[in-house]
Amino acid sequence: MKILSRFTIAAVVAGVIASATPSFAHHSFAAEFDASKCRDFSGTLTKVEWTNPHGFFHVDVKDQDGAVHNWSFQTYALITLRRAGTSLELFKQNIGKEVWVRGCEAKNGRAFYAAAGSLKFASDGVLRQMGQLQD
Amino acid sequence: MSARIHPGVLCGAAVALLCAYVVVVHGQRGGAAAAQNRTTEYAIKVMPPGGPPPRLPDGHVDLSGHWLPNSAGQGVSGRDGVDPAARRQFDPRATPEEKPAFQPWAEAKIKAMTPVELELSKSSVNCMPRGLPAIWLQNPYSTVIVHTPTMMAQLYEVLNNWRLVYTDGRPVPKDPEPWFHGTSTTHWDGDTLVVNSVGFDERTYVMPTGWFHSDAMKVTERYTRPSKNYLIVQITVDDPKVLAKPWTSASRRWTLGNGEVYEFYCTNNHELDELGKLKEQESYGK
Repeated sequence: MKILSRFTIAAVVAGVIASATPSFAHHSFAAEFDASKCRDFSGTLTKVEWTNPHGFFHVDVKDQDGAVHNWSFQTYALITLRRAGTSLELFKQNIGKEVWVRGCEAKNGRAFYAAAGSLKFASDGVLRQMGQLQD
Repeated sequence: MSARIHPGVLCGAAVALLCAYVVVVHGQRGGAAAAQNRTTEYAIKVMPPGGPPPRLPDGHVDLSGHWLPNSAGQGVSGRDGVDPAARRQFDPRATPEEKPAFQPWAEAKIKAMTPVELELSKSSVNCMPRGLPAIWLQNPYSTVIVHTPTMMAQLYEVLNNWRLVYTDGRPVPKDPEPWFHGTSTTHWDGDTLVVNSVGFDERTYVMPTGWFHSDAMKVTERYTRPSKNYLIVQITVDDPKVLAKPWTSASRRWTLGNGEVYEFYCTNNHELDELGKLKEQESYGK
């Protein structure tokens, strides 16, 4: 619980920082994703799509009912990830390992699809900004 | 927002920021690499002037460089703890940017758009070239300029677009074809390179706010390099069919970077599908 609280605080500040600074994203977060449906996800990284205009990574997340679903998380454009120090190699090194994500679900109701605001690989514990987090 | 915060950390916004700052800085020590990463990120500051600008063989200011759209000379988006002054291209308190004055019909057209329609109109969402002047007004990525006495090449990271501006004084043709970056003629005003352009493809937007333009749009770019590390770009849009009067941007700063230039081909665009579904849902709800 203590760790979750820290994660929550960190996610909140990432959101505050993101919303207080000019938007550098490819488009508006608010049009496509629901800022009232943001939450924490924990699971196993299964795949990364290193593509533009957005990258995607996939995580096996165990829901409260015990079922495991493969979630797809959208990221910033790759240029932004690279300039912030997040590389494809880093994702590849963490395939099959635990990750934590703060993300917001799609407004159109698409299942298991969200925008990632921030991400932590358990392997290094660094909070990495993945997109506009607006909760 | 507060509904999502753990009850144990429900402090005021300012206190939350302080708490979180402490956690982000001191709570992430998952190893030497992590600590090093944080140290590097927190060192991002406004770039110093860097001395006088370089000159071309003909004596004019050389605008060549790898330019980033902030005051830091490196990537700042997606990073925590960056000096706010290093993030921005201009200080809105010192040099506020005027709002465009639209013709009534144009304003009504823009206001009639729903948020989803507005999103679907954007060049970025459609993987379309930003075009001029948007490439200097709504571009979060870097631009490489290669400048000679007779030509200025602008190589944009976004969509791997590029543009050539001839600086040999040639006039624009009488009836230029509609291009995303228009057709340009240039002259020097002291140390300022003035680029006047006409003939634009009408599928572009001046700003991602629904600000469309007509076939009558004229764009003036004013480029200065007051010191080695800074490029200043100011844009004027004269479009009498859409605007009640010409609009001039703030003087926007771009800073000299020495990092990599990345590829950006827009090949995996899900936006149109996802937003299209949302628009359908909106239509059913009406």
